[in-house]
Amino acid sequence: MTRFSSYVITCVVLLFSVITQATTVQDSKGTFTIDYQPKRIIVLEFSFADALAAVNVSPIGIADDKDPTRVLKDVRDIIGDWTSVGTRSQPSLEVIASLKPDLIIADIARHEAVYKDLQKIAPTLILPSRRETYEGSLKAAGIIGKVVGKDSAMQTRLQKHKTIMMELAKQLPHNAEVQFGVARDDALFLHTADSYAGGVIRALGLTNAETGRDDSAYRQTGLEQLVAINPEYLLIGHYVTPSIIDKWQNEPLWSVLKVARNKHLYKVNPNVWSKSRGIVAAERMGQDLIKILNAK
Amino acid sequence: MKQSRPFPTLITGMLILIIANLMFGAVSIPLNEILKGFQQGSDNYFTLHEYRLPRTLLAVLVGAMMALSGALVQGVIRNPLASPDVLGVSHGAGLAAVIYMTYFPASSIDWLPAVALVGGLLAALILWWLCGQSSSAIKLAITGVALAALYASGVDFLMLVKPLEINNALLWLTGSLWGRGWHQLMMILPWLLLIPVAFWLAKSLNLIHLGDDTAMSLGINANKLRLVSLAVAVGLTASCVAVCGPIGFLGLVAPHLTRKLVGGRHQTLLPATMLVGAILLLVADLVARTIDPPIELPAGLMTAIIGAPYFLWLLFRTK
Amino acid sequence: MKFLSFPYSGQCLVLSLLLCLVGWISLFSWSVIPISPHDALSALYAMNDDNIAHRIVHDLRLPRAMIGAIVGACLAAAGVVMQGLTQNPLASPSVLGINAGAALGMAIVSTITPWFGLLGTSMAAMVGGGLAWALVMLLGNAWKTGGEHGRLVLAGVAISTLCAALTKAVIIIEEDQASGVLTWLAGSLTDARWQTLDQLWPIALLGLLGTLLISQSLNLLQLGDDNARNLGVSLLWVKLGGSFLVLLLVGSAISAVGAIGFVGLLVPHMARMLCGQDHRKFLPIAMLMGACLVVLSDTISRAIIFPMETPAGAILALIGAPFFIYLVRKRTL
Repeated sequence: MTRFSSYVITCVVLLFSVITQATTVQDSKGTFTIDYQPKRIIVLEFSFADALAAVNVSPIGIADDKDPTRVLKDVRDIIGDWTSVGTRSQPSLEVIASLKPDLIIADIARHEAVYKDLQKIAPTLILPSRRETYEGSLKAAGIIGKVVGKDSAMQTRLQKHKTIMMELAKQLPHNAEVQFGVARDDALFLHTADSYAGGVIRALGLTNAETGRDDSAYRQTGLEQLVAINPEYLLIGHYVTPSIIDKWQNEPLWSVLKVARNKHLYKVNPNVWSKSRGIVAAERMGQDLIKILNAK
Repeated sequence: MKQSRPFPTLITGMLILIIANLMFGAVSIPLNEILKGFQQGSDNYFTLHEYRLPRTLLAVLVGAMMALSGALVQGVIRNPLASPDVLGVSHGAGLAAVIYMTYFPASSIDWLPAVALVGGLLAALILWWLCGQSSSAIKLAITGVALAALYASGVDFLMLVKPLEINNALLWLTGSLWGRGWHQLMMILPWLLLIPVAFWLAKSLNLIHLGDDTAMSLGINANKLRLVSLAVAVGLTASCVAVCGPIGFLGLVAPHLTRKLVGGRHQTLLPATMLVGAILLLVADLVARTIDPPIELPAGLMTAIIGAPYFLWLLFRTK
Repeated sequence: MKFLSFPYSGQCLVLSLLLCLVGWISLFSWSVIPISPHDALSALYAMNDDNIAHRIVHDLRLPRAMIGAIVGACLAAAGVVMQGLTQNPLASPSVLGINAGAALGMAIVSTITPWFGLLGTSMAAMVGGGLAWALVMLLGNAWKTGGEHGRLVLAGVAISTLCAALTKAVIIIEEDQASGVLTWLAGSLTDARWQTLDQLWPIALLGLLGTLLISQSLNLLQLGDDNARNLGVSLLWVKLGGSFLVLLLVGSAISAVGAIGFVGLLVPHMARMLCGQDHRKFLPIAMLMGACLVVLSDTISRAIIFPMETPAGAILALIGAPFFIYLVRKRTL
């Protein structure tokens, strides 16, 4: 009889959870179920904040490396104020707990080691962000939309995003070859076709420069390799000024590049192009490209 | 009993630091709230019971074990500049961890401690295989250094070839108590059995300081003692590194500091150095968490920053 | 080993030829843009500005090979002098903490941006390396005769560990800079250009000639400090001068290409195997060998994950560290 009653209870519980509209999604650790609409959300990567901003949800805490300007201005305008919970690599679990969240969104690449601890604080949705492609981040945004109870809003937003990107693509020359990279003091890292920026460039009907062997999204590149890749347009996010690109421009070999001959070297904001990896960021990137490619 | 006086002070200091570690952090909890915090369901239950308490206990254990390991190594090698680092254990563990992180980025991070532990023990075996039983202590140390250099160059090479994983790897290689909880504490508990073994060796370690021959005439097999002591040191270091990453300088500085306090007799030195090590790591982790909240620095960083200047000062003074 | 029995001038000639060969190979091998061996030569005497292959050889590869050779020679000479001065077979820039110190200096300056204009990275590298070495020598009792060899090495390890920990601290705090600094730390010739060469060669030449001048005194030092003093060597001047030369050589090499390790440890021993203990003889040989080694590993560094590059220093460390172990095993310490 006990077995029978436990069946009954299970059925009732299941039925009940269906009535209260439990949402079940697949995250990087399996299934994730939530049966309420979260109000106090903490995100541990910028791309998740971007996804929340897309459906007008404000997180109460962001792992922003204690520098609010690292979150895109467009996103900041939507979500308003938040509490910093420390660095993305080692967020402070104490602060997270003290904020009493009812949902935490974490990155599988960075936060897998503390997944169990985070779960003790609040239900934790763990998704890829750091190694994510453009398509993957849209998918992640869809999942986040479902979990925060804004599925239809998110689907509309994603649809709108698609339209915006198509509109932008129409205004852009088809198949122009665009390469994005970030420049530091002593190194240039190209974001290849596998990277987030590469995905956005493809989605806009442009092509990525051929960077050869593709096994990593970011590739450190010397001037010699850059000459070989020789892209039509080169967009650089400078982390420091003067960066290595400024040094290279003074070298005779630089003039060999198509970019130098046609003056197709442009500066872009590395926070938008490299760190954010979200819907809003992709649209901003599209606008940047329109400004750049239609400048003539 | 002049030598035993530091113990009450050290123990009191450690207790105060334990309480301070529970109270302070990104969010301060007043003293009267702390006891309440341990009851399930209270406001600070997670912060105190699930987070700060295991982390503090882990700091105590890891600090004590690393310091003990350092005292053993310095005792055996008879050189104050030796440390568990010269056995190549932490570098071996680091190499294993980095290989795991770069080549199996998709696999679960839960296996990392086990991989690092195997790497550390393997490194010790290689050292033993190269040196055998007959090598002099100093030669053993230098061989360990050379092996460590080899592992370090392997780590550098991997991080440069696979730049994507650099930050995670670097963070691990600096040694941190961030995100470590009851689970890691349980992993380290069995290794505490090595501590009584170390104490049992204390008396023989005193004699070995008189020179191998003298020790031999007093009925101690220097080679065997060396082997056992180093094996204990390896076990202590490897287990700590597996859980927290290589926390540098602790094994070097703590025994020095303790020798100043209680003198060189190993019967008092070994327990005292454990207390000092625990205190050092507690301070380091407290500072790392509170210096610029909510940013957490790796504790390994703080032990280096706190320990290094003191170490230099000490070395210049003793010359 | 026929080569071992060559007369000294023959050995020098063979090594010089080898250096030319290695240099020539490095001019055309492993390039994304095809460069023929012939291109590599014709770019030297009949440069065609519109030919991309010629431009690459002339603007990138040639200064790179030359800098590699000079850096190799500098580091090898520095290793010889350090081993001569301390009479310690393990003395070398990387073991005694100079590399780690220089790396720390450079990491601090390049990540903490406000300091940028104040102190150039190469200057910082030299200051850091010098400080670290001075500390190691003081801690290791290197100036006392009959000082324990092991103590010096352990002091080097302790200081290196300290510097490495602090370097990591800086890198972790400034996460964005991490990979750039790491590449530099390992030592890479990727950004070696004519300007670098212009800054490097005068100092390097000075340092290399200086080491040749003191090579006779180094010979006498091997007889022990007392004997050397009786033979009219001014110990203080030789040791001070030698240390200054080492700093000059290592500093200029590090500021040009980063902290390349193990050349200074490896090459002096190889040179000694070839032509015995006379510093006057094996110093030039060591320089040539060091040059070959660095140019060769730079070529290999381009091949490993072609078309990307690995820092040459990482390759050298992988070759050098096993040799370090071999050395420790062989020598009685």
